[in-house]
Amino acid sequence: MPVLVRIAFRNLLEHKAKSLIIGILLALGVVILIVGNSFMDTAAKGVKDTFIGNYTGDVFIHATAKYPVSLFGVQAAGGQESTPNLPYYDKVVEKLKSIRGVKSTAGQVTGFGLVSPRDSDKQGFSLLFGIEPDKYYELFDNATVVEGRMLRSGDEGILISKKQAERYAKEFEKDVKAGDEVLLTGMGKGGFKIRAVPIVGIIQYKSETEATDFISYVDVTTLRIIMGMTLGNDEDTPITEEQKSLLAMSDEDDLFGAEEIVAPSAAKNAPVAANVAAAAAGTVAKKASVADSGAWHFELARLENPNDAPRVVAELNQWFASEGINASAGDWKAAAGPFAQSIDVVRIVFNIAIIIVAVVAVIIMMNTLVISVIERTGEIGTMRALGAQKGFVRKMFLVETLTIASVFGLIGMLLAFAIIGVLNAIGIQASNPFLEILFAGKTLKAAVNPLSVINSLVLVGIVAVLAHLYPVSLALKIQPVRAMQTE
Amino acid sequence: MTIVEVTGVRKVYPLGKVEVEAVKGVSFCIEKGDFISIAGPSGSGKTTILNMIGCVDRPTAGTVSIAGRPTKDLSDKELTTLRHETLGFIFQSFNLIPVLSVRENIEFPLLLGNERVPKKDKEKWIDYLIEEVGLGQWSTHKPNELSGGQRQRVAIARALVTRPQIVLADEPTANLDSKTGEQIIELMKKINREMETTFIFSTHDAKIVGIADHVIRLQDGLVIENLRRGADASAICADDAAAAEEAR
Repeated sequence: MPVLVRIAFRNLLEHKAKSLIIGILLALGVVILIVGNSFMDTAAKGVKDTFIGNYTGDVFIHATAKYPVSLFGVQAAGGQESTPNLPYYDKVVEKLKSIRGVKSTAGQVTGFGLVSPRDSDKQGFSLLFGIEPDKYYELFDNATVVEGRMLRSGDEGILISKKQAERYAKEFEKDVKAGDEVLLTGMGKGGFKIRAVPIVGIIQYKSETEATDFISYVDVTTLRIIMGMTLGNDEDTPITEEQKSLLAMSDEDDLFGAEEIVAPSAAKNAPVAANVAAAAAGTVAKKASVADSGAWHFELARLENPNDAPRVVAELNQWFASEGINASAGDWKAAAGPFAQSIDVVRIVFNIAIIIVAVVAVIIMMNTLVISVIERTGEIGTMRALGAQKGFVRKMFLVETLTIASVFGLIGMLLAFAIIGVLNAIGIQASNPFLEILFAGKTLKAAVNPLSVINSLVLVGIVAVLAHLYPVSLALKIQPVRAMQTE
Repeated sequence: MTIVEVTGVRKVYPLGKVEVEAVKGVSFCIEKGDFISIAGPSGSGKTTILNMIGCVDRPTAGTVSIAGRPTKDLSDKELTTLRHETLGFIFQSFNLIPVLSVRENIEFPLLLGNERVPKKDKEKWIDYLIEEVGLGQWSTHKPNELSGGQRQRVAIARALVTRPQIVLADEPTANLDSKTGEQIIELMKKINREMETTFIFSTHDAKIVGIADHVIRLQDGLVIENLRRGADASAICADDAAAAEEAR
């Protein structure tokens, strides 16, 4: 064994108290990092798998908006912003399907609505996903029927979760069953719209969390109507600047030339114009109750290989830019919106906590090492007098630091494995909806990621090396003459 | 052959706001193979002179040459190399590395140089030194398991392991009882004869001074006597004699 390692190990044993102080800090750091990262990784993977498998798919396409858009709508600061319709829907879907690796696609409309029984004014809130059942179920098999049946294409009705049914029962003060008719109230640009629909079925989500229990599935036609996405409504389909300038022209003369071929008679024209306007208003009034079958908020896609998502997203965004389509593609994180962000927020908080702990650890370790250097002044002076260059002293302290980091890093790692094993065996229960999302279910099951273990050990090594820099600079200042000074 | 040449050396230490002149212009020469004692009472400047010969301290004025090489303008790295290659040290408090065994302590200076010594030769040489200092039974023991005399023997073997031309010993018997002290000096003398290594040791013990064949006596930072005993009495530098005379 090289002499430096020998000296390092023996110094560890010789100065047990100091070694323990530094070692416990390092081991604790490794435990926090490994256990924390395991929970973070598990939560991140859980949320990702839950959302990709059940709600978002691998690729998410939406119309561009002023604020970030997720599957739950536009995340506008300080209030509700209506979700814009996906422009050139058919063209976009055609392009999406033509991309290599795209397995299946489905459209979705999202809205918020109030559900109330026919014979009561009591109401319950619901997040409504408007779907075309056949296509949607090809993408997601996310629920099992508890009562009634799933939605079928051509149905008009609503599917609610078991938990939602129980909540409604409490709010309505009566049982809520499959087959009951409820009033669905939504608000779009055309104001409040109410529609009576039957509860087709009560379902249980495979990945059950309180947050997702609020989601109810409605046939897309019903949702379009209550959201005001009807033929007579000029929903805010995003258009290009060029299109806007064309629409801004006052009349057809601007388009086809200003020269008058036949001079119009103002007296004759006035009643005709009024009649046309009246007729048009009537048509609009009728069309306001007919859903716009081409209006979708989002298009979701599952891929043969989920790892291809970045490629597909990039290709789509490039295509949108080249075609001048105001749409954007994103991965599951974009679709999951606040739910995915919650994981990032927790990870940022965790990392800040780790940095604070690391700084405190560096300071404590530094002080302990400084004391060690002071105590070993004579020894270092002797080594220098005997012919040790400064580099040797530097190396000696580095090896000692890395030895202590390795020994206690490994102890910390084993301790972390044991803690994770015990916690998994006990099974920590999520006590609130936020934790349910983080735990990706009711119970936390943490898995150890080897890369995260290596990262944790490297990080602790870096902390130890940083902590030894100042003490070693003091050691290098010790002159060999100190060896001659009697203690 | 002159191996150490000290010329007009002064050493001033700052002590708070005042300066203390520990050595006040000292000159002398030491010949190769000498067994030389630098004697004098406490505070006479013995250790300061030894530190400057040992290249662990620099003179405020004057020059010190080791094996014909002036040390004045050498860098820290060059001084360290010079110490490693030319000098061996025996300290008053033994200064053994506590976590290393007797054998490892003796071997330690060999690990500091760039010179590659075949393992077999190295082992043989260390074995020889251990036997020479009479610690064959103790080679695996740690310093704290040894008596003062045994520790100083380890220090002597360690000082010799790099085959230095000069061994410096700062009051090597100060922490030993008189009998053990005599044994240590006898051992040093024996090695001096057998290996022709120059030994320079500081002491204030008159009995030990008597064993040396060259004595430089200091008082208040000045050489007051530079005495060579036996056949080589004429080998004292002219400067030495003049300086000593002046000090008287």
